[in-house]
Amino acid sequence: MKDSREKIFAAIRHGLRGSEKITAARNNQSPLKKTLDGGFQSLFDEFQLELKKLGGEAVVFAKEEDASKFIMDHIGENVFVYDDVLSFHKRLIDNLRVSAKMSSDFGRGYDKREVAIFDSAISSCLACVAETGTVTIANDMRLPAALVTKLFIIAEPHLLIPSLDELFTDKNRNFKGSNLFLITGPSRTADIEKELVTGVHGPREVIVIFIDEKDR
Amino acid sequence: MAFESKHFKELYKKEFRNDQLRGNLKKATIQAVDKRGESFEEVDFPFLQDQAKKIKQESISHLNEYLSRYDDMAQKNGCNLFYAQSPDEAKSYVLEIARKFSARNIVKSKSMVTEEIELVPFLAKNGIDAVETDLGEYIVQLANEKPSHITTPAIHKSRKEIAELFHEKIGSELNSDPKFLTAEARKVLREKFLSGEVGISGANFLIAETGDAVIIENEGNARLSTSSVRAHIIVTGIEKVIPKFSDLRIFMRLLGRSSTGQKLTSYVSIIRGPRSNDEKDGPEEVHVVLLDNGRSGLLGTEYQDVLHCIRCGACLNVCPIYRNIGGHAYGSVYPGPIGSLVTPLYYGKGTAYDLPFASTLCGNCTEVCPVGIEIHHHLLSLRHEMISMKKSLMQSLIFRNYRMTMLRPKRYDLMGKIARLLSKTNLLNHFMKNWTAYRALPHSPGASFREIYRNKG
Repeated sequence: MKDSREKIFAAIRHGLRGSEKITAARNNQSPLKKTLDGGFQSLFDEFQLELKKLGGEAVVFAKEEDASKFIMDHIGENVFVYDDVLSFHKRLIDNLRVSAKMSSDFGRGYDKREVAIFDSAISSCLACVAETGTVTIANDMRLPAALVTKLFIIAEPHLLIPSLDELFTDKNRNFKGSNLFLITGPSRTADIEKELVTGVHGPREVIVIFIDEKDR
Repeated sequence: MAFESKHFKELYKKEFRNDQLRGNLKKATIQAVDKRGESFEEVDFPFLQDQAKKIKQESISHLNEYLSRYDDMAQKNGCNLFYAQSPDEAKSYVLEIARKFSARNIVKSKSMVTEEIELVPFLAKNGIDAVETDLGEYIVQLANEKPSHITTPAIHKSRKEIAELFHEKIGSELNSDPKFLTAEARKVLREKFLSGEVGISGANFLIAETGDAVIIENEGNARLSTSSVRAHIIVTGIEKVIPKFSDLRIFMRLLGRSSTGQKLTSYVSIIRGPRSNDEKDGPEEVHVVLLDNGRSGLLGTEYQDVLHCIRCGACLNVCPIYRNIGGHAYGSVYPGPIGSLVTPLYYGKGTAYDLPFASTLCGNCTEVCPVGIEIHHHLLSLRHEMISMKKSLMQSLIFRNYRMTMLRPKRYDLMGKIARLLSKTNLLNHFMKNWTAYRALPHSPGASFREIYRNKG
């Protein structure tokens, strides 16, 4: 392997010898034709619109109890909850505790067949992007978030950012653990005669719930 | 590597006569072009294209430095790196890892590089079942065919053909509703994900600054192929490295729009390394196979910017040749205008003499290319090289005669008269039968413009 590595690097150096070295003049201006800024409500409106176009849903509640009620009305029978949600919203999932399984219940690691029985999952997120209706998650949710049919994401208003510019500007700010996962609406394909079908391998429904408790 | 590009002339004739194929292609490519156009309305495409081109120029002109930096960072993140000069080296390494984990089942997400090295048949020969989990690739694998488009592998197949295929191969009822067919595939493939020990994917970008591998997709199969397994193997080309994490703000906006008309694909997985001790899921090991296979040979040549390609497939959708013959006619994993460059340039000009001629040189490909590759100019240059490689006496005589005719007005008049006389017979049709098989020769006037002008004056 070392031999191949050296040979490839030697071939690269040989190919590039004497050729011009270019350094890109990066322009940090936004390529978006419209400006995305303002307060939470204006960003939320944009986020909701983008997610809706893709078949997802975004809602905002002023009280945890209302969000909890909404989830109870929409959730499936077997629910997986990422523990991180608890640290912010203890009351939110009190009602769900009976039937839900928490990520901490799995000890050191998941058995994928055990995780595959869940039809719904509730996760926290690291950021939400208004420009595209994207949420980003990390940590222990990569498998549950990809296996369930209904995915609920709980978000705080301060996590909503205008665009991909803010998301990718800082290499660490929106990154945690060994991976970062961007979800933009339900799983989809147009591989058969370009007809759109959702829920290919991942969730058919993606619902983002903002809890905007002003008195928190 | 089995290339059939040498037989392009026979292959394209067969595909061109397939009305069903041409109908499927026309519908799919027109829709893709429309969606692409709409998706770029909200962003400044020239700005993004210019930035992407500059970043790619920087990446490739400093490839040794950025690849080395990526190597350092990825290893710090816990990834294992393997460099492969040839497909055989890459395949042997993948087999070694598969055997280390006693893998009998491998789940694979879409990757052009694994198609390039023919990884799946190699694993099958070694007793390992590697299943394609992208719906289009799964269809193509069941049909024992090759992908015919970079991003839409089964673009050549109608829903009826797919329904018949599923009925025959996986016992589904005969139902051609895409929703039904997708659900059937989900059922079969879910079980594969749950039993797969090793996952294989490609990578759209490798980030030198952080050591991350970026994988974009829409179905969630790449996410499952990389999360539900004990080992994740990324097989990709050395040219995929870009300098900075923040460069993704440019490429993420371009790739989805150019390939499928989406602002962003449904899923973007940024893999930094294997699962850490405090994580509950993810692979125990991440291996990155970096393939050269002819890529380094383009460095320092006029074709260096072909290495900038991000495999979006936009140039295929706008190409009048591709739209009429589809991907299989090119006889290469990489079809369309970019494939007509990549195939002879990576694997030797002798492998694909005719491909640079499979273009009208209309320039649509260059116009839509998100990283600004001068595709049609390169195709023209390659034509010159191909002609000088394989000069025929007849071609030399024709072009010498043409040159002399254009330089001498009297000779031009004489040749015009001869051509007009011949056009009254069937001789020209016979002489130019390859050309006239699909089109008629233009009607020849009774006199030349000079003669008419002289007579009137």
